[in-house]
This record gives sequence, structure tokens and C-alpha cells, in this order.
Amino acid sequence: MSLTLRALLKSPWVFHLSTGSCNNCDIEVLDCLTPRFDIERFGMLLAPSIKHADVLLVTGSCNRKSAIRLKRLYEQAPKPCVVVAIGECSLSRGMFIHSYNCPLPLDKIIPVDAYIPGCPPKPEAIIMGAVKLIQKLKGTL
Amino acid sequence: MTREEILKDLKQRFKEDIVNFFDKSPKRVYMEIKPESLVKCASYIFKELKARFNIASGVDSRTAIEILYHFSLEYINLLVSLRVKLNRNNPQIDSLAPVFKGANWIEREIHEILGVDFKGHPDLRRLLLPDEWPKGVYPLRCDYTEWDKNAIRDRGV
Repeated sequence: MSLTLRALLKSPWVFHLSTGSCNNCDIEVLDCLTPRFDIERFGMLLAPSIKHADVLLVTGSCNRKSAIRLKRLYEQAPKPCVVVAIGECSLSRGMFIHSYNCPLPLDKIIPVDAYIPGCPPKPEAIIMGAVKLIQKLKGTL
Repeated sequence: MTREEILKDLKQRFKEDIVNFFDKSPKRVYMEIKPESLVKCASYIFKELKARFNIASGVDSRTAIEILYHFSLEYINLLVSLRVKLNRNNPQIDSLAPVFKGANWIEREIHEILGVDFKGHPDLRRLLLPDEWPKGVYPLRCDYTEWDKNAIRDRGV
């Protein structure tokens, strides 16, 4: 494991991007940060800018306009950048799969490292996904 | 004015313009009018009856493209919807944006999504669709078919 990845996993800073979601996944992501679920105990903090972030959390169904912004954000992120897709919409576009405005799923636009399914995923599922992602990157999964 | 007085006034004033008048419920009235008399009716309801313009909605119903302009008369708790039916091959109607500004953006949206031509609109650019969207393709028309050859429409399982 590279030094940068090792440093990243100690305290991954998270940037949260909604690409046209219904806000339900976003609420669950914010729930994770509350004292009840407290994802900060894994060192995760919400970063105010993508340039400070190690992890890009994506919710929503990646419509034509936000896909351009998503690519731009991914280019701005310092590498290595881990991408996590949260919710059914960003995994496979859910009920919007035949929508005229959602041509591609997220993993055909940028590389995705972890998928957290659910509509919306529970905070427990998001924590589970985060833990599994850290284990996967450390190579212990 | 009470509800009955207003409805009587509308029916009498726009006798020649009304195609169909449907009193659905105590809170809801549908008034189907001829497309050419839209501006006259809408400005009367908006300016004289002091109604609030809520929103317009467009429907493609195979026989005609319908646009409904919803006005609420809050002092009598009534929602008046003006319904116009347009020809599907060449949908055209006068714009309401010069009468009240609230109609500007929704007319831009109906223009790009249903392909209705609003005559007299000050700035009929695209509102929501992306720039690469082809001209003359309207996504919420009944006969819309996929144009994007790169789109993936299966879940990969």
C-alpha cells in the first residue's frame, strides 16, 4: 500500500455530491455524522471542498447536466480519490433507468470503488460500506 | 364577490371564448377556452380578479397538446384552471410572459420539453435541458424515442 493511501485511510475526508437525487440519501449521509451513528469515530469528516477531500460520495442518478459537473469534480480531486456510490439511483439509476435525462450509470462515468445499495441506505449500511471500503483498501477483506 | 358571482361573471364575459366549463368541486373549476383568447381571459383573471398565477402544466394527450394555466383566487378559496388544446402538428399559442413575469420560466420549460411555440415570449431559450440535446426532439411527447446511441438501458445483471 502506498504512503498516500495509508495516510488517506487514517482519516478519510469526505466530499458529498448530489447529482440530482431526491435528497433522501443525502439526509441519511448527514445522519451518519450525528452523534447517534457518529461516523467520525472512523476519522471521517465532511470536507467543504473537493480539493481537500479523499473520498467522493455520490448520490443521485447522474443526469446529463450533472454528469459534466461530476467529471469536473473528479478531475479536481487530489489522487488517490476513492469514489463511493450511495443509493439505488447512483448504482443503477433505480426507477429512472429509462429516463431521457439519465443515459449512463455512475460507474460508466467515473470509476467507483464501493457501492452502497438501498433506497435510501440506512446509516448502518453506510457505516458498513465505509468499514468494508477501508478493509478493501487495506487489503484485509 | 362570492364564488357564484365570479363564475357567473366569467361565463358571461367570455361567452364566445369558452369551449367547455367544468365545475369539478367547490375548490376547483376547469375552463376550456379557445387558444386565441387565452391572453384576454388570463389577463382578466390575473389583473381584474386579482388571482395568483400558480403554474402552468403541459400534457401531451395524443389527440392534442393541452396546456393548463392554474390560477388561485385565495379570497374565495378557488382554483381556476384555464385549459387550451393545441394542434399536435404545429402547437402555437400566445405567450403570457409579457402579461405577468411568473409565466416566463414555465413557458420556456414547456417549450423545450413539449415543443410548444410561445409567440411573443421575450426570451425563449432552453431552461433545463442540456446543450447537446438535439433540436426538434421533445422528451415528454408521446412519440418520443431514444436518440442517444450511447445510452445504457439495462442494469447489467
